[in-house]
Amino acid sequence: MLAERLEDEPDTARDAPAPAASVRSLSKSFKGVRVLEDVSFDVAEGEALVLLGASGSGKTTILRVIAGLERPDTGNVVLHGRDVTELPARERGVGVIFQSYALFPRMTVEQNVGYGLRIRGRKRRERREKVESLLELVHLLDQRKKLPSQLSGGQQQRVAIARTLAYEPQMLLFDEPFGALDAQIRVRLRREIRALLRDINVPALFITHDQEEALELGDRIAVLHQGHLEQIGTPQEVYNRPETEYVATFLGAANLLLGVVARDNRVELGTVAVEAGAEAARFHVGQPVKLVFRPEDVRVSRPGGELPADCNPLANGVVEEKHFVGAYERLNIRLDLVARAPRPGEPPLYEISETPERRLGVPVIITRTKSEASAKPLRVGERVTLCLTTFRVLPNFPLASERGGRVLDTQK
Amino acid sequence: MSTAISAMRHVRGFDPTKPFGLGMVILLMLPLVLLPLASIFIFGTSSGLRSFWAALTAPDAVFALKLSVVTSFYATLFNVLFGLLAAYVLSRYTFFGRTAIIVTISLPTAIPTAVAGFALLLLWGKYGMIGRFISEDHQLMFTPYAIILANIFVTFPLAFGVLMSVFETMDKSLEEASATIGATRWQTFWHVTLPSLRGAIVTGALLTFARAIGEFGSTILVSGNLAGSTQTAPLYIFAKFNEGQVEAANAVAIILALFSFAIFSILFFARDWIEGK
Ligand SMILES: Nc1ncnc2c1ncn2[C@@H]1O[C@H](COP(=O)(O)OP(=O)(O)OP(=O)(O)O)[C@@H](O)[C@H]1O
Ligand SMILES: [Mg+2]
Repeated sequence: MLAERLEDEPDTARDAPAPAASVRSLSKSFKGVRVLEDVSFDVAEGEALVLLGASGSGKTTILRVIAGLERPDTGNVVLHGRDVTELPARERGVGVIFQSYALFPRMTVEQNVGYGLRIRGRKRRERREKVESLLELVHLLDQRKKLPSQLSGGQQQRVAIARTLAYEPQMLLFDEPFGALDAQIRVRLRREIRALLRDINVPALFITHDQEEALELGDRIAVLHQGHLEQIGTPQEVYNRPETEYVATFLGAANLLLGVVARDNRVELGTVAVEAGAEAARFHVGQPVKLVFRPEDVRVSRPGGELPADCNPLANGVVEEKHFVGAYERLNIRLDLVARAPRPGEPPLYEISETPERRLGVPVIITRTKSEASAKPLRVGERVTLCLTTFRVLPNFPLASERGGRVLDTQK
Repeated sequence: MSTAISAMRHVRGFDPTKPFGLGMVILLMLPLVLLPLASIFIFGTSSGLRSFWAALTAPDAVFALKLSVVTSFYATLFNVLFGLLAAYVLSRYTFFGRTAIIVTISLPTAIPTAVAGFALLLLWGKYGMIGRFISEDHQLMFTPYAIILANIFVTFPLAFGVLMSVFETMDKSLEEASATIGATRWQTFWHVTLPSLRGAIVTGALLTFARAIGEFGSTILVSGNLAGSTQTAPLYIFAKFNEGQVEAANAVAIILALFSFAIFSILFFARDWIEGK
C-alpha cells in the first residue's frame, strides 16, 4: 500500500508543470532597513514575468538575488527544480541583461558574445559558429568587429542579449532594459525582444517602473511596493481587477470613491447607492470601502438620455473641464455626491471640497473615445448622468500588507 | 568658471588680464623651472660634446645610472604587482580595519624621505630591531636591496593610489556580468578587470619609476653611498658636486632630466592611448 502511494506521488508531481523558476519568501535587509519582505512568485517555462514597482521598491534586489549577486536573508531561489540559493552567480546559468548592458568595453561585439563560450573552453570553430548564429538572430552580423562604444543603445542591448544566449541560460533577467533608450525606440525594441523571447522560449523576468511597458511585455505582472508583492496576475487581471488601491492607481488612472457597504450588495457613496453585486458581496455590511473605476469605464449622457443596458448607474454631475488629449477626450466631472453625516463609528465619508465658490460634490475624471465624443458632444457646464461598465470595490486601505492583522476581512 | 569666461567675451575693448596674467606666469616660470633646467643642458654641453660623453661614460657614472634604473625597475615591479593585489583586496572586500590599512599604506607620502630612510635603518640596520638578528653576511642595509626597499617604501603609495582610485570608480556591473556569464574570479580578473586597469597600471608604473629613479633622501641613508657599489645616480650627482667635479655631476643630471621628460611626455601626451581611447 505504502509502496503504491510512493510510486504514485512522483507521477502526479510530473503532471503539474514545474515552474522554471520560483522564489520562495525572500526577505532582505540592507543595514537594518527592510528592502524585501516575504516575496514569493513563480515563473513558468517560457513565460515573461514583469516586476513592476516604483523606484526603490526592491525590484533590482530581487533580480540580484535570483542571479546570485546578492544573498537573501531568508528564502530560497529554485531554478528548474534545483535550489540554487547557496550557489555562486557563475554556477547558476542565469542570463542578466544589466541596465547599463555592462558590455566589456575592450572586447569587440564578437568577443563579447563569445565570452561565455571562451571561458568554458569551447573550441574556436564552435565558438565562431555559435557567435555568428547569435549575431544573426539579433541582426548584428555586420557590426561584429565594432567595439561596444561604437554602437547605439539599442544595438548594445542586443549584444548584451546575445552574450547571455550564447551559454543557453536557464532564465533571462532584464533590469530596466529600456531605461536608457528614448521613447520611440523603446516601443520598437520591446516588441522585438518579445518576439525574440517567443522564438527562443526561455523564461524571462523583466523589471520596469513603466506601466505601459509592463502591460505590453508581460505574460504576467507582479506589482511590488516597498518590498511587498501587492498582486500578481495577467495584465488583464492586474489592470481590470486590481486587488489593492495601490495597484489600481499605479497601473493607469483610477477614480476612487469612498463608501460604505450597505444591504442588498449596494455600496453607499454619500447620498447615492450603487448596485455592486458580487463586488460588494465580498464585504460586511457597514464596512468602509472604496469604489474604484477607470476613467474609460464610465459612460455619460445628458440626463434622460440613454445609457447602455449593462451599465451600472452611478450619479449625476456637471462637466467642469474638457480636454482634447489626442486619441481621446478627457472630462472632469463633479458628481453631486453630497456626504451625509457619518453614523456613529463610521469614518467621515467624504472630504467635501468646499472651494471658494462653495462647490459641493466629488470630482472624477473620465475619458471618451473620439467617436463617442463626436457622437455625443458635451459642453462645459452641462449636466450629465454617469454609469459604470466595470468597477471594483476594494477595502479602504491602500496596500495588501495592511490587510493583515485587521479585523475586517474581505473574504467574508 | 565658464560663465565668467563667456561673460568676459561680451566686454568690449582691451582686456588687460590676458597679456598681463600670461606675462606673470611666464615670468615666474622662467626662474623657477625653465632656466634651471636649461642651465643643465647649456652647462653640460658648454665644453663640447666630447667631454660630456667622457663624463657620462666614466665607470662610476655608468654604474650609478644602471643601479638607479635597476633598483627603480624592481621597485616598480613590486609596486604594480602588490599595488594591484592591495587595491583589489581593499576595494572588493569590506572588513574590519579596512580604512586603517588604506591610511597606513598611504602614510609614507606624508613622511619626509630622510625620515623614511632613517626609519628603515633603525629597523634593518646592524643594530636595528630586526637587523640585529640577521647574520653579518646577510645584512640588508648598505646593499642594493636596501635601495629597492627604500624606493618601495617611498613610492608604494603612488602606485597604490592610482590603482585604488580606478578600482573604486570601476563599473562593478562589468565584473558582475562576467560572473553571471560563468567566469571564475580569476577569469573575471584576467579578462575583464585587468584590461580596464591598463591605464592605471601604466600610469602607476611610470609615476613610481620617475619618483624612484630620482630618490635621494632615503637612499643616501640606507645605501651607504659607495661609488661603484651602492651609489645611485642622484647620489653620484651629489658626490661629484661635493668633490667639485661639476661636469661629471652635470652629465648624469642631464640623463636623469631626460628620463623625467620622457616619462612626463608619455603621461601627458599618450594619455588617450593609456586610457584605451
Ligand atoms: N547594496 C545596497 N546597500 C544598501 N542599500 C541598498 C543596496 N541595494 C539596494 N539598497 C536599497 O534597497 C532599496 C531597494 O533597492 P532596489 O535597487 O532593489 O530598488 P529598485 O526597485 O530597483 O529601484 P529603481 O527603480 O530605482 O532601480 C532602496 O531603498 C535602496 O536604497
Ligand atoms: Mg533598479
